[in-house]
Amino acid sequence: MESSDADLVTRVLHGEVNAYGALVSRYRDRYARYAVHMLGNREDAEEALQDAFTRAYRSLARCEEPERFGAWLFRILVNRCRTSGARRVRRGQTFVHDEGALMNASQEHPAEQTMWREEIERAVGELSPDQREAFLLKYVEDLGYDEMSEITGVGVSALKMRVMRACDRLRTLLREVHSA
Amino acid sequence: MPEWQRSTLELIVEELRRPVKIDESFDRRVMVHVRRTYARRRRRGIAGVLGAASRITHHPAWAAALAAGIVAIAAMGVARSRQRPATAAGSHEPVQFVLVAPTARSVAVVGDFNDWGLNDSALIATNHEGVWSVTAPVPTGVHRYAYVVNGKDWVADPSAPRSAGDDFGMPSSVLVVEESTK
Repeated sequence: MESSDADLVTRVLHGEVNAYGALVSRYRDRYARYAVHMLGNREDAEEALQDAFTRAYRSLARCEEPERFGAWLFRILVNRCRTSGARRVRRGQTFVHDEGALMNASQEHPAEQTMWREEIERAVGELSPDQREAFLLKYVEDLGYDEMSEITGVGVSALKMRVMRACDRLRTLLREVHSA
Repeated sequence: MPEWQRSTLELIVEELRRPVKIDESFDRRVMVHVRRTYARRRRRGIAGVLGAASRITHHPAWAAALAAGIVAIAAMGVARSRQRPATAAGSHEPVQFVLVAPTARSVAVVGDFNDWGLNDSALIATNHEGVWSVTAPVPTGVHRYAYVVNGKDWVADPSAPRSAGDDFGMPSSVLVVEESTK
């Protein structure tokens, strides 16, 4: 039977360091998706994710609800992505869509599919970081506004506004593509 | 909301929800960092306690108490490095025992200084959001002790050296209590 998050956390805190590997495997891919979409390229995403996992290990004793380790780790990752995004802006880099992430999609109509994916990635990349974060948390990670508020420290009203604006912006950007 | 717009949003979300696979070498890279951190903490003799210390900084009333626990453990390290003879003088020194056990329902300390908990002499730790702690006077000298979690699970202190011969087949740790210099 698969160990629960709480069991694994307890084992790690008692010095069974390899138990942490099970937590890494459990959350690696799911949270990689958020990081890739948030940061726009696999290299930055992996760096942010790795940093989130190592930070979580260093302060594991502060995880107040070990049965919700995943949610706690995700909060660390969201903060880490914010820092990484801010640093990228300071470096003057532009958002680059991720070819690697796109390769995992289905191959039904490869050319059209790839074009559509690229347009979506590009449109998501053109959102402001705040809007992108709110949109991904709401629609891709499927979180409620209360959970989003807990993770981001932003009020529910402000988050709703960001999501609404993100949706409007995405529709506008993709309508332009359709009509072009 | 117009139908075209709604379906566009759904298509975007469907696309963004596709799984992103990370190379399995990622796990190895993370675990290299984790093991390094673990080894560094073990060398400093504070594995399992450092995290709790930073956690307590959010609760000022407990910061001093936990800091005292770390000092006590540090003092043990000094005693070992000097290779002081194990003497059992008559004096007692206050020792704080700290165990991070977020899911535990109860934690008690048993050792040769309290007859291994016989006759209800186990030291009952208090829970502070997963950090269990109890302070008690312990005679100076070398002692063996362990934590009893949930009244049945006997665990050695992850932040202290293991006893060479585990007592009664149970894991136990070594505690060196020095006489205060004050």
